[in-house]
Order: sequence, then structure tokens, then C-alpha cells
Amino acid sequence: MPGDATLVFIAIGGIFAFSFYAVLVAGQLSLGQAGFAAIAAFGSASLAPAPSEVGEIPALLIAVAIGMSVGALASIVLGLPTMHLRGVFLAIATLGFAEAVRILIINTESLGGAQGMSVPKVVTPAIAWVFLVLVAYWFWRQGPSRYGRALAAIREDELAARAMGIDVGRHRLQAFVTSGAVAGLYGVLWAYFVRLIAPEDFSFTTAIDGLVTAVVGGSTLFVGPILGSVFLTLVPDLQRAIGIDAGWIRPFLASLLLLLVILFLPGGLAGLIPRRVRMPAITGTDLGSAVAGLDPRRHPAAGEQVVRLRGLSKDYGGVHAVRDVDLEVTGGEIVGLIGPNGAGKTTLVNMISGLVRGTSGTVEVLGVRPGRTAVHRIAAAGVSRTFQHSRLFPRLTALENTLVGSHVVARPTFLRRLLWLPSARHDERQALQHAARCLERVGLADKGAVVASALSYGDQRRLEIARALAADPSLLILDEPAAGMNRVEAEQLSDLIGALGRDGLTILLIEHNVGMVMRTCTRIVVLNFGEVLATGTPEEIAGNPEVVEAYLGSAETEEEPR
Amino acid sequence: MRTPRIIGTTAAITLTLTVAACGSGDEDTGSGDGALVGEGSGADCQIDAAVPVGAALSLTGGAASYGESQRNGLELAVAHLNEQDGITYELTVEDDQTDPRQGITVFENFVGDDTSIIIGPTLSNGAFQAQPIAQESGVPVLAISNTAAGITEQGDYIFRDSLTEAQVIPQTIALAAETYDLEQVVVMYSNDDAFTESGYEVFASSLEEEGVEVSDTLTFSVSDTDFRPLLTEALAAEPDALVVSGLIEAAIPLVTQARDLGIDVPIIGGNGFNNPQLMTDAGASAEGVVVGAAWNSTSDIPENVEFLAAYEEEFGRAPDQFAAQAYAAMTIIDVAVRHNCSGERDDIQDGLNNIVDLPTVLGTLTINDDRDAEHEAVVQVVQDGAFAVLG
Repeated sequence: MPGDATLVFIAIGGIFAFSFYAVLVAGQLSLGQAGFAAIAAFGSASLAPAPSEVGEIPALLIAVAIGMSVGALASIVLGLPTMHLRGVFLAIATLGFAEAVRILIINTESLGGAQGMSVPKVVTPAIAWVFLVLVAYWFWRQGPSRYGRALAAIREDELAARAMGIDVGRHRLQAFVTSGAVAGLYGVLWAYFVRLIAPEDFSFTTAIDGLVTAVVGGSTLFVGPILGSVFLTLVPDLQRAIGIDAGWIRPFLASLLLLLVILFLPGGLAGLIPRRVRMPAITGTDLGSAVAGLDPRRHPAAGEQVVRLRGLSKDYGGVHAVRDVDLEVTGGEIVGLIGPNGAGKTTLVNMISGLVRGTSGTVEVLGVRPGRTAVHRIAAAGVSRTFQHSRLFPRLTALENTLVGSHVVARPTFLRRLLWLPSARHDERQALQHAARCLERVGLADKGAVVASALSYGDQRRLEIARALAADPSLLILDEPAAGMNRVEAEQLSDLIGALGRDGLTILLIEHNVGMVMRTCTRIVVLNFGEVLATGTPEEIAGNPEVVEAYLGSAETEEEPR
Repeated sequence: MRTPRIIGTTAAITLTLTVAACGSGDEDTGSGDGALVGEGSGADCQIDAAVPVGAALSLTGGAASYGESQRNGLELAVAHLNEQDGITYELTVEDDQTDPRQGITVFENFVGDDTSIIIGPTLSNGAFQAQPIAQESGVPVLAISNTAAGITEQGDYIFRDSLTEAQVIPQTIALAAETYDLEQVVVMYSNDDAFTESGYEVFASSLEEEGVEVSDTLTFSVSDTDFRPLLTEALAAEPDALVVSGLIEAAIPLVTQARDLGIDVPIIGGNGFNNPQLMTDAGASAEGVVVGAAWNSTSDIPENVEFLAAYEEEFGRAPDQFAAQAYAAMTIIDVAVRHNCSGERDDIQDGLNNIVDLPTVLGTLTINDDRDAEHEAVVQVVQDGAFAVLG
């Protein structure tokens, strides 16, 4: 058996790695955890009562409470101004924070400066592992909850996550605060085990250690940080046991081993664990949120206003992408938006879904004002969309992609899952059933367990529709859903859109396949050079000579040779 | 898909092996079979089994340069001792990587595998983290480079042969103040290192005691290499001397840059400056550097002369103080073992409490009631590219 110290270091190393995992699952690279840990360690060591006064366990628990609170607090203070930073910029900002904390502690005489501060040793292997299990439990329950899936969606594609109604800023901050609290826990356990805490224990190297542990273990499955910590803690032990001479050769071999793991296991050690995806048995076809037992949504009745554009324009520099467009869409309509490449179709729907803000004019969709309201609120109001170039969450399965789509109608389950409440299980089942029905509707029922990036192009397009449908939208925007599909696939898609329209769904369809638009839509709007060229029923449009000249003729000849 | 699976399997096997390997370490636990208790006493002591000595040193990481010297000193000493009749020592040198986790783990392993006495760790912060493990299990520890206050206060199994800053620095300041007629000085130190910071504290109190005025105190970081701005500031104060608490890595550029800027007053350094590398790398700039040290490299006592020659021959360069203190440690341990003619832990502890006036490379050494070593410190000055005794 490994010694006590090894067991403790595996456990607290795992906890530290979890503080990186907490943000990595949301796609954030933070190096500030060493700073949170330092604040927690020194804070709790100075504030908590001595074990000789209140007993060892109470003293440790008080220290943990203090440490986790100050860790979380520090992460809020740091997170508020830095949460809009991405990737390496966030890493640098948080690293700067950690360095500032370290230098502050070095220069604070009451904390012992560089010589550190002595702390009574309280932590035993059993205590350390209890905390590790609690932390791992937290992240285990978080994974397949609405909150956990939202974080994964943000990691995979932030823009698409916004369009699915996820409040990215709030979720990122929550993940960051979780990370701060867990790092704080690590700091306290470290302090109460190693007897002497010094600022050098919370340096840049420490942060890199934690990051490496999380990445080597795997940052997409909750056991990853534990596997990483077991691996990295045991490597030196193993080297000692097999008698490799102490010296430079050991860190060299350890680094080599690390390189091999990263090269051959890009998903970390946890990548070796097969993922199990259970598709629920599909029990119905109704895609309404109320039927699915989710938060019911009220859809606009036929004829009720859904979209209203007044004088909407968008300029990019000197280019007028969209010019003075007036458009109204009412409940139950299937409106086709056609026009040559560069006519401004995508810009127009981006303004309707709130991704792009108009230069002038007004947009009103389902009672909200896209462009002035955050994107996730537009989605929450009932706008759901697909993208011209698929923006799926590539490493999530088709089922998970669809579940993310239901974010705005699903109930939060994480906290109830922590308490193991039956209602959470019930809600998750409902959401799964709903997602499965959406997949079934687009013909992907048998592909639920396949990761999105492994799907064929046509299947990816259909999955985007399923994901959009999962939100039980009042307005569905489809941006060239048939692009790249063959004739048979396009016909099936056309049937699907028609059927959705017959169910009463309001649809805005951008499509190059004019035949499909003619077959499916109740009304067609033709854009050319950013302006509305014509609007009318399919018959009227087909008979409009201007439209034929501007668009139909040339498009037809381009399309045919395929 | 195939390669990852193979690597995965390899990783799994590696982990299994690790656990198995760790498991096998425990088999020979359970001392007290008396093999380490010998017959005879003193020089005639005969112990059949080899006495296991463990050393936890920083061979890699931040303090690697010290650990390497220490390992050399220990290995040389053990080789010399094992040539004598009666007792053989089995030295195991382990690397703590200048990392508290490794230091603690290495100590725990030594405690668990019947090591008779543990030497180390290299740094004082690491000592406070690891040595209590030995204290709790009743394993004697001999610290060979920890200079911080409070090391031996951790318990009655913790000894050291390295003089503390409080033993060396006051002598240095007193002698330098007298020799150079110091009235006011500028103090510089790196404030993010435990060793140099505690050194500074002793410097400050010693200067106060000697009535030397400190016109300015400047701090830098252990990783700094450009001291020109600080030195320019120091120059403006027109001090009689610069007092510097820094490691050798800072000492070399600092001394060179000071001389370049025209600071030709004495530069008084702490233990960190006591390294032949200073003269090698700083060259003529090192002239006039005053260093208080626990080891007089120019001492002509026979133990030291023999040590210098043997070290030079074995490793091709002159030893530093860390090597000398490591070498002395084995001399002390050997006498402690022979005291009761036993390699058992408690007998060695008893032996260490009875080290009086022992001739070592460090000079005549006594371990006092606080388990700290007492021997003469030396104040050296660099003259003609070598350390010479000041005064």
C-alpha cells in the first residue's frame, strides 16, 4: 500500500485538479486557482480556531468553511471583471491575480512572509478522501444535469449555446465560483496537512501542476481529475520503487510519460472509459413542451404577430448588407426567404435572432427586442434557429445536443440531483423523452449515441433542426437546412418542414433550393442587394419577372449540374 | 483507434505495477531483531549489518545546486567511513524535488523502511514540513543545511550540524564593522525566499546592535538578475558597505553589476555567498566581498586539508560549504553510532546527544543541549580570487 502521505496527496491533488475541471468543462482556461488556494490557506490558518481549543475535526471544518467561502468570494471579485475574457487572455489575467496574491502574502508580515506560517497537522488520509469523494460526487451529479449540459455546450460552441437560450455569462461565472470554492478547499487541506504553508506553495508551478493533472486525467468526465492525480502522484513513487537513480532522469522520464499520455490520449486517462448513452424508448411523437412535462410554452395563435421589422438596415462599413426592410410574420406562417448569395438573408435572420444588432430600424420578435436584449433572452422568448454552417456541439452526442436545445423549457435539475430527489430523476426522464422524440421527428432516433462530429453532413443538418425543435419554439428559423443534401434528403426535409408547419409552428426558412421553398412555404420574401425585391405567395413569386431575372434563372442553371 | 488502446493498457499495467511495487516495500518492516546492535565500543565497535542512512535532498527543482553538493559530500564521507573496519553505512539518497509533497513522502518512506537516521531536507521550509514525521516516529534527523530558527525546537530527535544565521551573522557584522569602521550601510535582500529573508532579519538586528546606521533597505526577488536600478539607488546613499542577504544566483550578477557601477565598498553577504562559484563567475568583481560562513574553506586543520584534496580528486572541483557540512554529518553520525555501538534509532539519538569537541571538517564541533551544533564560524574576505580569513 502507498504511504499515508501518498494517499493524502492523491486526494488533495485530485481536489485541486477538480478546481481546474470545474472551469475546463465550461471551456475556460484559468490559472488563478493557486491564488484562491493561497487566500484560503492563509485565511483559514489565521482565522480558524486552533485544534487544541475546539478539537481537530471541528477546527478543520471551520477552516474548510472559511477557506471555501473566501475562495468563492475571491473568484467572484476576480470573475466579474474577467468573465468576458476568453482562452489565453483569461489564463493570463487569472495568472496575474495569482501572482499578485503570492506577492501580497510574501510582503505581509503577519502571514510569515517567505518563511511561511505553521499550521497544525489535522488531515489524515481518511479525511482527505472523504473530501475528495464529496467533491467528485458534486461533479458527478453536475455532469448530466441541465446545468452541466449547459456548461458543456458553452465549451463546445459558445455562440450556439447562446442561441439555445443559455445565459453564458452567468454560467461561466458560476463555474468560476465553483472553481474558487474547490481551490479554497484544496488550500485548507494542504495547509492542515503539510504543517508549514509558504507563498511558494501557491506559485505558477502549482497552478500548472493542477492544470496538468486535470488535463491528463481528462476534463470531460468527473473521474478524470482523480485518475490524473493517481497517475501523477504515483509516478515518482513508482520510480523510487523500481530504483531509478534520484536526479534529473526522474523528472525527465515523468515528463516523457506525460507527453505520451497527451499524445495518445487526447481525452486524458478518462478517455479510456467507454461512454454509455442510453436512448430512452420513444413513447410518443408530440413535441410540445407541455406534453413533455417541461415548462409549458404558449405559442402565438394563427394570425397573431410573431415578427415585426420596420425599416431595418445593417451596414458593414460602406456595405449595405440589409437596407430598409419591413417584414411581418404571423403565427402559423411558413415564410421562405430567398435571394442570391450576398442578398443579406443571413444578416437579416441574425438580426431577428439577436446575434447581430441592426444599424437602424426596429425589430420586435415575440414581444422582445433583439439587438437590445441578450441573445439567450431572445431564445427564451421562443426563437430557435439553425445555422447556415452547422454549429453543433461537436463532442456531445446527438442526444446531448438535443437535450441542450431543450434548455429553455427544461427545469434545472442539478441541485435536486445532488440531493437525489426523485423529482429530478423524473424531470431528467421527461427531458430525455422529449429529446428522443425530437430526434425521432427528424429521423435520427437510431443515432442518439453518436457524437455530433461523427455524423454525416446531412445528419448534422437534421440534428440542428432537432436541437432547435427541442426548445419547443414559437418561431423556428432554418438557415439553409438543405444545403449539401441530395435530392432525396432534401425532399424528406421538405416534407418534415411542411409537417411542422401543419402542426402550427411558425417557420422562417432561408433556402437556395427554390423548388423546396415553393413546395413548403405559404409566403415568400425575395431579397436582392439587401432590399426586399418582392413578396407574395409561391405562385405570385414564380410569376414575377423581376424575381426570375434577378435570381431564379441564374440559380437554376447553377444548381442543375449537380 | 488501436494505438490508444495499447497505450491505455500500458497505462493500466503501469498503475497496477506501481501499486504492487509500493506494496512490496513493506515486507521487511519490523526492526528490533538486534542486527544493528554490535559488539565493542568506540573505535572497536563491530556491527554486522549495514547501518541504513537516508538522505532527503533537493537534487532537482529550485534548490538543486545545493542538493548536488550535499550528495557529493555524503557519498565521499560514506566511502571514507566504509573503508574503516567495524561499521558499514548504506546511504540512500532520495530527491525531494524541492517540493513539499516529495519531501514528506520521502521522509515517510524512510521512517517506514527502518532507516536508522535521516539527513536533510535541504531547505528550511521543507524541513518544517518533513522533519515532524521522523520526530513522531522516533527517527533521529540530522539537518545539514537548515539555518532557520526553530528547526531543532521541533523535537528531541531533530539535530543539526549547520550553524544558524543567528550564530554566523552577528560575528560577521561585528568583525566587519570593526575592520572597515562602518557607520552607515545599505541593506539589500530577496524577500521571497525563506532563507534570505530570515538572514536579513538577523542582519538587521546585528547592525542595530553594532550601532551601524541602515540608510536604506532594498528588496528584490530570488529570480532577479538585473540589480542596476537598486544599486544606483544604493550608490546615491554613499554607504560604507552593502549588506546583502541573497542566494548565490543573485550574488554573482549583483556583485558584478555593483563593481561596474563603481561601488567599490565592501559587500557583506550571508551564507548564500559562501560558494567558490562567486570567484569563478564574478572574477575580479568578487574582490572585497565579505562572507560570514560556517565553514572555513582555507582552514588547515588535517580533517579539512584531507577533505579538500579528496573532494577535488573525486569531483574535479572545490567543495562548497554544503558539501563540507554534509561530509561533517557523516563524521558525527559515525561517532554517534559508535557511542553505543548500535545503529538502532534511539541509540543514535543518544549518541548524538553526546557529541562533544569532535574534530570535523567544520572545526571542533559540539552538539549543545538544544541539539544545535556549536563550532567556530569564520568571516572571510575575497582576496586575489580566493577566500581569506578577515582580520
